Amino acid sequence: MVRNSRAPYIVAALMAPLVLGLGGCGRTTTVVLLPEKDDRTGAVTVSTEAGTVEIERVREATVVSSRSSPPSPPTELSSREIEAVFGEVIKALPEKPIHFILHFEFGTTDLTADSAARLSKVLAAIERRDSEFVSVVGHTDTAGDSRYNRRLARQRAETVSRLLVNKGVPTEHIQSTSHGESNPLVETGDNIRELRNRRVEVVVR
Amino acid sequence: MDSKKLLLSILFLAGLPGTCLAGGNSIAFVDSVKGEATILNEAQSVSAVANMKMFAGDTVRTGANGTVGLIFNDDTVVAIGPESEMKVEDFLFDPAEGELSFVAKMIKGTFSFITGQIAKLAPEKVHLETPEATLGVRGTKFAVEIE
Repeated sequence: MVRNSRAPYIVAALMAPLVLGLGGCGRTTTVVLLPEKDDRTGAVTVSTEAGTVEIERVREATVVSSRSSPPSPPTELSSREIEAVFGEVIKALPEKPIHFILHFEFGTTDLTADSAARLSKVLAAIERRDSEFVSVVGHTDTAGDSRYNRRLARQRAETVSRLLVNKGVPTEHIQSTSHGESNPLVETGDNIRELRNRRVEVVVR
Repeated sequence: MDSKKLLLSILFLAGLPGTCLAGGNSIAFVDSVKGEATILNEAQSVSAVANMKMFAGDTVRTGANGTVGLIFNDDTVVAIGPESEMKVEDFLFDPAEGELSFVAKMIKGTFSFITGQIAKLAPEKVHLETPEATLGVRGTKFAVEIE
């Protein structure tokens, strides 16, 4: 019969979930660790009332069939198995937001020369991503009192926002906030001048 | 591009359905949509469109050919595959105040995640539930299927 010529493929398609451990009755949850661009991998712990399994290697997966049974021991899936089940949802993943750090001269809202030159990179990222969600967060170092620093950080954020708006980014696409001296990049004592903390972080989403 | 801009303008004139789903600050936005997808809460249900804002308590639901890409305020990115449903129960991202929380319930379908700053700063504040299991994460990329 003509239809039979497809049978091996259908069998293969039906087998795939069994290979992945997704078969059987009732619902199952499968969790798999995916390869990252920079080969840096974290871990996922999968827990039920009966136990916890940690997957920490790329393409490692665990399957859970109920809250009352432990997750399966980690097994490695092939790239093809992952593609078959998760290909579409992996393709739909948005690009991660991009962070830029711009530095300031001490006690001012003047960008350092390096950072002023980096502004074009920020603009390029906004344009490439067609981003309508740009956040601009101002920070200071710990020199000076915290109220002064909250205001200075806000002014730094407003300076960067204004520079972006002047280059054509609509105001309503920018969210500007101040963290003052409370969120340093580098921990220092109080009243310490630190270039790396005198910054505005721009996140392009 | 033009049709996207036009659609957005129409939605804007129609009263920004994405931004009036709930009060308070948005926690994420829709980066991309393919096929049929809706965002719903207790009050209403609207078709997902690019750049629509999301709020804590919102549910995302997709149809047979639908996918949605979301970007959260803490840089977490999530994709929701076809025939899928996920509710964001709680989301707080205020590192300056130390307020961090990411609680989501996956109900059915396929999902992929690249975790963001909450998973880095306070992994114990990330709780992802499926009907069968609870997931904890340490800065990583992973996928989930509920079948």
